[in-house]
Amino acid sequence: MHVCVSTFACLYYSLSNVSLGVYQPCLPRLHCVCVFVTRLKKKGEMGKLDLIQTLSGHEGRVWNVCWHPQGNTLASCGEDKTIRLWFKEGSKWVNKDILTEGHQRTIREVAWSSCGNYLASASFDATTGIWDKKGGQFDCISSLEGHENEVKSVAWSKSGQLLSTCSRDKSVWIWEVIEDEYECAAVLNAHTQDVKKVVWHPHLDILASASYDNTAKLFKEDVADNDWICIATLSSHTSTVWSLAFDHSGTRLATCSDDCTVKIWQEYLSNNSEGIVTPDNNPVWKCVCTLSGYHTRAIYDISWCHKTHLLATACGDDAIRIFKEAEDSEKHTPTFILLATCANAHTQDVNAVAWNPSVPGLLASASDDGEVKLWQYEDN
Amino acid sequence: MSSHFSSVLQLTDLDDFITPSQECIKPVKIEKTQVGTGAKIKIQEDGGYVQVEEGGRERQLKKVEISLADCLACSGCITSAESVLISQQSQTELTRIFQETKSLHEAGQGDQAKLIIVSLSVQPILSLASYYQLPVDEAAQRLTGYFKQLGANMVVNMNIADDFALLENQVEFIERFRAAENKENGKLPMLTSSCPGWVCYAEKTHGQFILPYIAKTKSPQQIMGSLIKTYLSSQLKRSPNDIYHVTVMPCYDKKLEASRQDFFNEKLQSHDVDCVITGIELQSMLESSGLKLSEVDSASVDWPWSEKKPLDKEIWGHRGSPSGGYADHVFLHAAKELIGQDLSDVHYRTLRNPDFKEVILEKDGNVVLRFAIANGFRNIQNLVQKIKRKKCDYHFVEVMACPSGCINGGAQLRPENASAPKELIAKLETMYADLPALSPAENTMVKELYNHWLGGSTSDKKTAMLHTDYHAVEKMNTALNIKW
Repeated sequence: MHVCVSTFACLYYSLSNVSLGVYQPCLPRLHCVCVFVTRLKKKGEMGKLDLIQTLSGHEGRVWNVCWHPQGNTLASCGEDKTIRLWFKEGSKWVNKDILTEGHQRTIREVAWSSCGNYLASASFDATTGIWDKKGGQFDCISSLEGHENEVKSVAWSKSGQLLSTCSRDKSVWIWEVIEDEYECAAVLNAHTQDVKKVVWHPHLDILASASYDNTAKLFKEDVADNDWICIATLSSHTSTVWSLAFDHSGTRLATCSDDCTVKIWQEYLSNNSEGIVTPDNNPVWKCVCTLSGYHTRAIYDISWCHKTHLLATACGDDAIRIFKEAEDSEKHTPTFILLATCANAHTQDVNAVAWNPSVPGLLASASDDGEVKLWQYEDN
Repeated sequence: MSSHFSSVLQLTDLDDFITPSQECIKPVKIEKTQVGTGAKIKIQEDGGYVQVEEGGRERQLKKVEISLADCLACSGCITSAESVLISQQSQTELTRIFQETKSLHEAGQGDQAKLIIVSLSVQPILSLASYYQLPVDEAAQRLTGYFKQLGANMVVNMNIADDFALLENQVEFIERFRAAENKENGKLPMLTSSCPGWVCYAEKTHGQFILPYIAKTKSPQQIMGSLIKTYLSSQLKRSPNDIYHVTVMPCYDKKLEASRQDFFNEKLQSHDVDCVITGIELQSMLESSGLKLSEVDSASVDWPWSEKKPLDKEIWGHRGSPSGGYADHVFLHAAKELIGQDLSDVHYRTLRNPDFKEVILEKDGNVVLRFAIANGFRNIQNLVQKIKRKKCDYHFVEVMACPSGCINGGAQLRPENASAPKELIAKLETMYADLPALSPAENTMVKELYNHWLGGSTSDKKTAMLHTDYHAVEKMNTALNIKW
């Protein structure tokens, strides 16, 4: 079993007060609250990421991985225009299904519906595929057209009634699911550039999107006229926001960016006791923490485990890093600490990371090196 | 600069993944006077290009200009070079024309000056009336006074063109419906054609598939263009290119429509509509001359037609939606012509959102007519996808790119209180509903024109004057456009 060099890296970060300066290619903006780990780590604040298995099979880069909501199946997709489904047999994960003929070009992202019966795929062929297992095996039952060009991301709402997609055409679409028909409920042109990622709030019908325009945005339905509106714009990153993830409660959001930082945003509802102004009674999202100095290249993906509260990042420097909020952290000025760095997790860019929803600490990653890897995080 | 075009046209096709931003890639033919090799090109400090020939002679190179017509023919971006696009059809250009005409008159060369005719559509008048808190007729009169003061020779309302468009839509629908019944080539649903944002989107993204469903009837703006440049010009004994025709419209997309090759007379080098000006631009023109519309001297809107004006008003409306009432008029007409039912009213049912409404007519328990109004991009999307999947059972759909239709056109004045756009739309809708409504069949001038100008309702001239064609825009495959 392969053990990463994370322990050493951790020690290095935790023991040195000044080391962060060395790894700081992008300085955070001044208006943003920045917290650095500058003290000795306590027990439980270090860990390691063990490689469990390498899943080979895709030809060319693997763009994304997504766990089935029950955690027993992993879907992966990539440049080879296929979706591969991996199941656990005994102690090993095996590739049982290869879904082909749904798309004509690269599949950028796959997403399981929360009921686990459907799979959606976002492709560079400008369509979004919907896969259903009704006939015993997965078939592409619909192809959603509408985006002008590459679809970059797709996500199902918790209820399964809504689907969202985003594209290089700068738009975010909301689709309503009505008896296996998908109707466009909104086309949101709030972003000024390529939209990279969409994710739904874990409980509510609130959508978050990340864009090349350096911002993340939040949307919700305006019940008065069934239209969707942008309720918040999260600006602080100095380059493309590649991905974002809600915590288990949906009151915090983590964004990761080309500027090599991760930012943690906290939701403040109207009439909050902190006295933060909320225009139009919409919640305000404030950057309460910037994790700077840890990543040396663009951070392409971030996953926030709703069970263990661990944050995992996928980075262009081939590494996977694991963070967690410190135990003595303040709610409004939280401290996050780096628990582990797996320096050469892949031989090329890590494109995606995903925590398993049922097995604590089980992480999947996808890379340009054509491989999917499964990892187990353990506290030291 | 925020985009002025309707949201449909704002879905552009710009790349930022491979290169930072894909700019206009339309290849442009340059008329090169001399062919030579060995010359160098220098870029000057002001950004101008100078060709240095052998021997050191310098020659200023001509700037490449992309016209609106180029953009319409290109499948690349739609609005990336927006400032260029609008300049041809702008208030600056309009002001220039007015000044040029004025100076010709002052120099005693009035005979060389163009005759300037302004056509007013209803929606921007309502928008300006609301903004300047004027009664609708007074707003039309003061606006007429303003144009006259600038140097316009004639200001007319576009109601007559609206009437033609409605009547032609009715006739075209009956033809298509009957053809479909006989399993002939009558594509249903018939989709309205008066919204240029929608037409442009259909041509660029759904091409050959969707175009056969779109009504061949020209939009009121372009029918007005035919009337002014063909009928009125001959009445006034002026050549079409001797007339400068300005339309006042509720949206910027109308500028694109006016620039279409279909509406350009190559022989006479004359556009049916030379310049489109909008409510927002008029307000800015007034403001920059320190004027308020309520303080401008009034003048009556001209009525250059031989038959008597049907209403003693400056401007009026039609029943139905404030986009022109297409669904209403065609529905009532079809009920009578096809089903033999004389209905007095049309009751819509709101479907998934307020911008998607349908109305049905039942006979013996069967639905015999199913009409809809679909406004805004999301509803256009669902409509197109339904037609694609052969799941669309509508016979007729009034399609407008803007949510709430033309009353909420992209160039209507914005509310002063930025947070109340819905209240403003509701107010304008009420204002439209309160206008006196005229049935197109009651307009005797329209009848007269059918009989004497067009030579009946089936003539080739009618087709030329009142109908148009659409052209699918092929996706360009240039190296810069490759997506991966």
